[in-house]
Amino acid sequence: MSIGALIGIFLGVALVNNLVLAGFLGICPFLGVSRKVDMAFGMGCAVTFVITVSGVVTWLIVHGLLAPIGSAIFGPEHAGALFFLKYVAFIMVIASMVQLVEMYLRKFFPPLYTAFGVFLPLITTNCAILGTCLYIDMKPETQYLLNAAVYAFGGGIGFTLAITIMAGIREHIRFSDVPKAFQGAGITLLVAGILALAFSGFAGIGK
Amino acid sequence: MAVILTIIWAGIVLFILTLFFATLLGIAKEKLRVAEDPRIPAVVDALPAANCGGCGFAGCADFAKAVVESRAPCDGCPVGGSKTAAKVAEILGVEVVETFPYRPVIHCAARTEDKLGVVPYDGVQTCSEAHIVGVTQACTYGCLGYGDCAGACTFDALHMVAGKPVVNYDKCTGCGACVKACPRNIIEQIPFKQEQMLVVACANKEPAREVKKVCRVGCVGCKACQRIFADLFNVTDNLAYMNYDKYTAELGDAEFEPVLAKCPAKALVYFGKPKPEYARQLAAEDEAATPV
Repeated sequence: MSIGALIGIFLGVALVNNLVLAGFLGICPFLGVSRKVDMAFGMGCAVTFVITVSGVVTWLIVHGLLAPIGSAIFGPEHAGALFFLKYVAFIMVIASMVQLVEMYLRKFFPPLYTAFGVFLPLITTNCAILGTCLYIDMKPETQYLLNAAVYAFGGGIGFTLAITIMAGIREHIRFSDVPKAFQGAGITLLVAGILALAFSGFAGIGK
Repeated sequence: MAVILTIIWAGIVLFILTLFFATLLGIAKEKLRVAEDPRIPAVVDALPAANCGGCGFAGCADFAKAVVESRAPCDGCPVGGSKTAAKVAEILGVEVVETFPYRPVIHCAARTEDKLGVVPYDGVQTCSEAHIVGVTQACTYGCLGYGDCAGACTFDALHMVAGKPVVNYDKCTGCGACVKACPRNIIEQIPFKQEQMLVVACANKEPAREVKKVCRVGCVGCKACQRIFADLFNVTDNLAYMNYDKYTAELGDAEFEPVLAKCPAKALVYFGKPKPEYARQLAAEDEAATPV
């Protein structure tokens, strides 16, 4: 495990396999909270934080709880016997982490808590986070905790990047002469599609 | 057998996890408790919960917090009016002075036919655009008549009638959305101390000669009103202003009749809920206009 491998993982998930633009996860906040750059960036930061914490904790649950118990009860060849619990366990972890982060911020960083506002509780049901946690469990390169943490952090940064770019474009669209048929959701989805096409240009790196 | 074992162990593992996170959150809740003023939720309950933002804060909860922290007045909620103000004041244990609902009035009464120098305008049909273009009508102070305020109203209380906005004061909650929407800043929230309030329905600060060139009902700044009612009217910059601090609930038609008779431009207009006899007349007109 070298620093180069970690950078590879980070760039791979942040740009090449961008959660929003290549994986089509977290579309709801991507379209819903991308009207203003500062709000979008706040949402991105909140997601990055929760995604990193959840990624680490879910890695610990899979490798420290589900796998050992599975191999102890059903034998080493059936270590994945309890892996079907991932989904419900991960959701619980994410919801708990969001609650914990919310309480912590409220106590020690009230300005940040006020700035995040409603976005923090909204993250509980953000599929980008559950998706990342499940990806971490699937990918061969995230068998170490550090790799998993970098992967989760990269995913969050990728989400922040995508939603901030989107918000910047949408701020400009407000002053553009959009054909009537495309106004509102139509032009937003078109922009998202073109953005996804642009990001597919990253597919060459990291190979 | 393996299936039953799986189910049992699934239950055990989830139970452990749930217990762990429940304990964690339970401890965190105690350790990270933030003392919140118990009056804040009480004030939230007393508010109308319209979340319209008319008070200038981001919703009712934010306003409640501001009231408790003395950053906002008890009567700061324009929708709830004096009833809500009394309830809030009771929670906070302070005396509240009699308050009046703030409702918008329009400082321009020019109908389309009163405006002079109107040119055909094919641009974007909104006041904000027409205001930027600037030459759609001769009067650079008055209402443009494209209805930005009517579009901003979420209570269906403002409509464009004959080229000028007309407020339905039965529906209006005084949230102030129309005040912000007007690019010419001719909509103002005033305290409605009576059902009808007399308003200087003009915003033009040009001298009389210029006003007469652009409008048939513009205030010419003749100071006739000021001579009769020196403490109520004040003419500055060729425009009459009403001092609503001195406008008491006792003032009525008897006091205003000479002023209204003297005003050469008929720029003084009553705003508010139509008087009973006038409302009857309106209803009769509606009835007559409705095809059978």
